[in-house]
Amino acid sequence: MNNVQPNTGSSAPKPLLELIKINKTFRLGPADVRVLTGAGLTVYEGEFVALVGASGSGKSTLLHIAGALESADEGSVMFQGQDLGRMSRRSRHRLRNHSFGFVFQLYHLLPELSVLENVLLPAMVCAPWYKACIRARPGKRRALELLEQLGLKDRLRHRPSQLSGGERQRVAIARALINEPALVLADEPTGNLDPKTGQTILDVLRGLHKGSGQSILLVTHDVNIAAQADRVVTLRDGKIVDSTPSVT
Amino acid sequence: MYKIFLCFRYLTRKGIVLFPVLAVWLCVMMLIIVNSIMTGFVNRVRDAGRSLMGDVVIQSDSMAGFPYYRQIQKQLALLPQIKASTPVISGYGLFNLPEFQVNTGVQVMGVKADSESKVSSFGSSLFWQYKAPMQAVQDLRGVGFPASRKKLLAYAQKRLLSAAKEEHARQQAFADLKPISSHAWFASIRRHWQVISHEDYQQAVYKENRADRDLRMVQALPNRSFANAAALRKALVPRAPTFAPPPQAANRYMTASDEPKSGCVIGVDIGLYKRDRFGHYHRPPGVRFSPVIITMVPVTIKATLAQPQSRRFVIVDDSRTRVYAVDSKTVYIPFHVAQKMAFMQQQDLLDGGVRPGRCSEIQVLVRHDSSEVNILAARKAIAHVVHQLELLHPQMEIAGIRVRTWDQVQAEYIRAVDNERNMITFLLGLMSLVVVIVIFLIFYMLVRDKTRDIGIIKAIGGSEEGLGVIFILYGMLISSAGAILGLFTGVWFVRNDNWIHDHILWRIFGISIWNRKIYVFSKIPDQVDPHAVMWIVIFAILAGLLGALIPAIIAARQDPVEALRYE
Repeated sequence: MNNVQPNTGSSAPKPLLELIKINKTFRLGPADVRVLTGAGLTVYEGEFVALVGASGSGKSTLLHIAGALESADEGSVMFQGQDLGRMSRRSRHRLRNHSFGFVFQLYHLLPELSVLENVLLPAMVCAPWYKACIRARPGKRRALELLEQLGLKDRLRHRPSQLSGGERQRVAIARALINEPALVLADEPTGNLDPKTGQTILDVLRGLHKGSGQSILLVTHDVNIAAQADRVVTLRDGKIVDSTPSVT
Repeated sequence: MYKIFLCFRYLTRKGIVLFPVLAVWLCVMMLIIVNSIMTGFVNRVRDAGRSLMGDVVIQSDSMAGFPYYRQIQKQLALLPQIKASTPVISGYGLFNLPEFQVNTGVQVMGVKADSESKVSSFGSSLFWQYKAPMQAVQDLRGVGFPASRKKLLAYAQKRLLSAAKEEHARQQAFADLKPISSHAWFASIRRHWQVISHEDYQQAVYKENRADRDLRMVQALPNRSFANAAALRKALVPRAPTFAPPPQAANRYMTASDEPKSGCVIGVDIGLYKRDRFGHYHRPPGVRFSPVIITMVPVTIKATLAQPQSRRFVIVDDSRTRVYAVDSKTVYIPFHVAQKMAFMQQQDLLDGGVRPGRCSEIQVLVRHDSSEVNILAARKAIAHVVHQLELLHPQMEIAGIRVRTWDQVQAEYIRAVDNERNMITFLLGLMSLVVVIVIFLIFYMLVRDKTRDIGIIKAIGGSEEGLGVIFILYGMLISSAGAILGLFTGVWFVRNDNWIHDHILWRIFGISIWNRKIYVFSKIPDQVDPHAVMWIVIFAILAGLLGALIPAIIAARQDPVEALRYE
């Protein structure tokens, strides 16, 4: 049930991310809280998957494990056929930088940096030190393209504090896409926005998916938003209980 | 790359970083100032001590001195590494200047003015007679011209030539002065025991010693400009000082028997001159050539006191070694006179034998450069000479002769001052640990403040090492900025400390923290020690690193998910 193949129209899509029997327990004071119990999920290349579930069901934890931000107690995470658990720390850093693009509910932009600098930051992480000069900054052209695409061309020098919520989230999306990641991991990207702005953000993500075939794993508790994905995976009590293609 | 970028962003956009920069800045500046002044003080004491006694001193444990000093000198003259030597008589006495009601206990030094000037700075320490060339140049340096030699030379020429013109004008003004009449002369003697002479007029004109030094140098110079510093120094060759009283001094006395036969040189701080808070001496007219009575208490070779010996002298000059303890307690008289007064002269014995003349010490100047190695080698050679003579003359052995370098003679005092400097620098360094704590606290706050940023950086692929480097680099940049500011301001302050003290603290606020009457030197001694400064700067940068280290480790170890959830 967990590994339902997507109806993408193309033949035999390759699995991009595989979460196999993931267990995760948190220690909260004297008690152990089991968040994930044998959770399994596969995201295929070019697929837009929505992970839904009630608050505290373990959605974000599963997303963090999928994005190599957190490690599972048990189970394995395979990304493009490679086991994340067997990777060195350095490889995991590189993976986060090159292959994953994170979009968070609270945008998580660096307040000291301008819009352009925030978008460029992931590109700078993997660039050599001698390219520190602003003019030679790697990925600048792509950053400008992305920001233009997302309607932020005239906001390049602004600081995050000078932007609206929707604009901040679009900057976060541009930052997630700067290194052309294989998978975008979006954790409640519309959770902090009004429905109209939330829909705009979702349209952006859908546009990316439709336009360039970007694989997206989106975590949300809003079924209406989830319905706009290719597939909806439901998480309940730490287990994937349902994985169905979206009706839209 | 992102590490450097984020460092500069945090540095330029976080106002709080100004506080650790300020802390490091002030700390480095303070350490440089304290260290430089203490180093200057130690070195000035060292130089002063050395300039008083030459490179090596042959001394006796006995107050009665030691014999065969001439033989020692003859043997020393044969040693290739010895440039000059001079015998000195040292004893205690009373100094009585009736005209100025000065009556004090002094150390009487019997010196040979010419040879003493070769070995020590005696010649250059004299006020009225010529200064040694280097001293003259240093004096110019001391009046606020720590510039390059070229600038110094230009200044010297300008200053000296303008002084020459002034002096020429004064000479013209005094040219018409008639010799004093005999009637007025007798009246003057009855009233004040002094005569207003042509020279006294001149002395009155030059109350400020600096102007007078310049005058003396000008008088020695031909009226031309100099191609370089060496030419200037060559032209400033000092005239050998003399104890001989000037001919006009003889006119002061009623009878020839009253006439002093010898001159004496008094220490400048002996109590005759007024010294202002800037260290300038104001010499009342008439002090020079005044008669004084000096009484010495001789000590026999059996270490008993003999009959005190009093003699009349005339003040021919005053000496300023810049060491208060010396200048306030020392009177110099001719060697042969002191020898007689101290019962150290050659004596014919009743049995037909001869008791050789004695002296208290022999001061020796080493040839070539006076490096420590050279001086120690010379000391060894001198000790060998002395030992050989001791074998020949058992009387010398009884005297307990010791051969020591200038450094060894004043080792205890220097060590004390040196220790004081090290202790103060250490204590201030310890206090500077506050800087480490300030940096630590601010960085700790910064890491707490940036917890979410840390999570973001990790989420976009930043490594633990990278995050650690960001904060360590950040700490290093802050401490480097503070250290560089501290270095420049500290050195600037040290270079201008006397000006700041005199023109800002004293003239504007009326505060004087350097009292010349308490401290030995008239100006705040300062000497920037490049090694010490280098270590202070390195220490400051390391302090920044140390302060940033723990917060950097905390940042590096931060769990990204927890960091992202941090509010």
